Amino acid sequence: MVVKKTIVVENLKYRYPNTSKLALDSISFSVDEGQFVGIVGKNLAGKSTLCEALVGLVPHFYKGAYGGKVVVDGVEVLNSSIGEMARHIGIVFQNPFTQITAAKLTVYEEIAFGLENLGMDRVEMVKRIDYVLDLLGLYDFKDRNPFELSGGQMQRLAIAGIIAMKPTVIVLDEPTSQLDPQGSEEVFKAVQRLSKEGVTIVMVEQKMEKIAQYADKVMLISEGKMIDFDSPQKLFSREDLENFGVEPPVFTTIAKKLNVKDETTGLYPVTIDEARRLFSL
Amino acid sequence: MGKKSMWSLSFSTPVLVLIPAAVGINYVGKLFAQLLKLPLWLDSIGTIIASMLSGPIVGAVSGAINNIIYGLTMDPISFVYALTSIAIGLVVGIMAYRGRITTLWRAIVVGLVVAIVSALVSTPLNVMFWGGQTGNVWGDALYAYCIAHNIPVWLSSFFDEIVVDIPDKVATVVIAFVIFVSLPKRLIQMYEGEETLERLD
Amino acid sequence: MARALSLYVETNTFLQKLDPMVKLLYILLSILLPFLILPYRVVGLTFILISCLLLLYGKVFKKVLPLLGFSFLILISIVIIQGLFMQSNRTPAFTIDGLTFYKEGLLYAWTLCIRVLDVLLAFALLVLTTRPSDLIQSLVKRGLSPRFGYVLSSALQIIPQMMSEVGSIMDAQRSRGLETEGNLWTRLKAFVPLIGPVVMSSLLETRERAMALEVRGFSAIGKKTFLFDTEMTLLDKILEWVLGILLLISIIVRIVWL
Repeated sequence: MVVKKTIVVENLKYRYPNTSKLALDSISFSVDEGQFVGIVGKNLAGKSTLCEALVGLVPHFYKGAYGGKVVVDGVEVLNSSIGEMARHIGIVFQNPFTQITAAKLTVYEEIAFGLENLGMDRVEMVKRIDYVLDLLGLYDFKDRNPFELSGGQMQRLAIAGIIAMKPTVIVLDEPTSQLDPQGSEEVFKAVQRLSKEGVTIVMVEQKMEKIAQYADKVMLISEGKMIDFDSPQKLFSREDLENFGVEPPVFTTIAKKLNVKDETTGLYPVTIDEARRLFSL
Repeated sequence: MGKKSMWSLSFSTPVLVLIPAAVGINYVGKLFAQLLKLPLWLDSIGTIIASMLSGPIVGAVSGAINNIIYGLTMDPISFVYALTSIAIGLVVGIMAYRGRITTLWRAIVVGLVVAIVSALVSTPLNVMFWGGQTGNVWGDALYAYCIAHNIPVWLSSFFDEIVVDIPDKVATVVIAFVIFVSLPKRLIQMYEGEETLERLD
Repeated sequence: MARALSLYVETNTFLQKLDPMVKLLYILLSILLPFLILPYRVVGLTFILISCLLLLYGKVFKKVLPLLGFSFLILISIVIIQGLFMQSNRTPAFTIDGLTFYKEGLLYAWTLCIRVLDVLLAFALLVLTTRPSDLIQSLVKRGLSPRFGYVLSSALQIIPQMMSEVGSIMDAQRSRGLETEGNLWTRLKAFVPLIGPVVMSSLLETRERAMALEVRGFSAIGKKTFLFDTEMTLLDKILEWVLGILLLISIIVRIVWL
């Protein structure tokens, strides 16, 4: 069976206006439909820029200098507006507060915002809102003012607003970095559920344990360049990870110190289950 | 990078998000002035920052929306004074575009011009609705003194307004200026520039 | 807790159900008709009476009083100042404590009172019986750009949100030793450190919020739909026509008479 390539990026280069350095430099990769991709790298490595390039904010929102090609769900980003891309790909940012439209009085109406913009028929709208309210566990809050939600609830609302538009891909750019542990956990659960529903997921995250647990593939970015794009086991087993400002999951670090590897693959464990299996030998 | 035309009527999404923030800043300024018991209104800082960032049209729209919102939620008479707010937005936007408000001294000059324009626009409204008064105790005392001494109503009313406006608008523009110069460059560029897309291949 | 700003009172009368456009037309009429049809004071008083009756009917009359507060104080001072000092004052009306009030000034003050009350009550009718969001949606349906509709709705939500931060900023800066009391100069100096953080954060947020709106199709081309769509009733349409025609007739009559 041929797997559909949901994201195809070819030789992507990008420079922000009024800057001289490339923020993204010759990046090429592809993502299969339904895959969960994690992106890691240190601050300002270009992770957020790459996310913005997938949804079209780069280059349409910022302008600047752009080269190469990004195709999502069969649509080339450069040739379509951000609004058109919204039907194919959505993005969730760090700060839940700024993602509230601030124009709607209830959670229910807030979710409808994107659907109204796309001119969706009302019956379909209501159906989709009910679906995402349930999927993200927001049903009890549907009549609340969005500003009265907790950080974790607000971030789930941001995800709901995106998912209601039924994109094939959802990009999450450090969605839990401004949340407390409970809020983070709520968001991770929601993301896991989306992944089960078959949504292709691209997630930037500092919590490597989570990336190792959920991701099918992990991309390592440094100074605008893609260093590696591989399975979490292979990527986190790299001995030079620290050079790129990335700390592997805690289990991997311990295993590296003790030099415990999987004998068949020659790789370090990355999740707690793998570590348990290897250490108990 | 080119500079956008001053009279551009295209409202980008960042600009549309800026306007409510500007109105919010106006409200917050007014509230702090009350809490500090200052004898000034300081209720147009946001409008002025919006004008500095995005030009006269955006400033004028921020001013108008400020009064529409105030009219809808606090005092209906405020609708009428939208004209004054629009004028303030226009003046600051034009002056910022032409000369860049780059020094404290220039900010004070702009403040004086804003005070005069604002008084010129408010005076006919004051005459029409309040017989020329402003509701400010000091200004109205001056007004009563003037008309009791046979100074024409229009002029008395202008004095009434301008004695209140000069300290208020100079302070407002100076405060807006102090805040504006500390804004990150990237933010200022987002509002002032008309970026173009360049190909890298 | 932060809520959208609104003076709306839910009393479930006919006025709340009325299309906001009808109320806007009524405001226009009550401002213009006294100028178009003379005598000014009689027409103005008629509108004040109609507005009062409607406000009573809408069970929101009590809520008008706070709205009148500020204007009321100025109106009193107008009566005093114009009654005493107006330049065309000739005919003494009465004298209190040696101060002589004149008929001309009092009549002029009376005209101003009518003008202000007329405008104020007509607007009060709109703002007390209309949900701001309904008003905005109604304007958008009549052709206001939905992007401007957004600006209005967003301002109504952002303002209380920003105002709610004021108290905590004041406390925080005070605890860092900022003096917020004392002479005028001390208080004035405290202003920038207080407002600075609110301005900075609200402006920095604009970039992210703009992006978040974009990716939700804010700039998408094509017709938008509404989650809650209310149709105008037959009565709304009739009233709109009646008020519109009334306005038109008055304008024509006025032009012909000039």
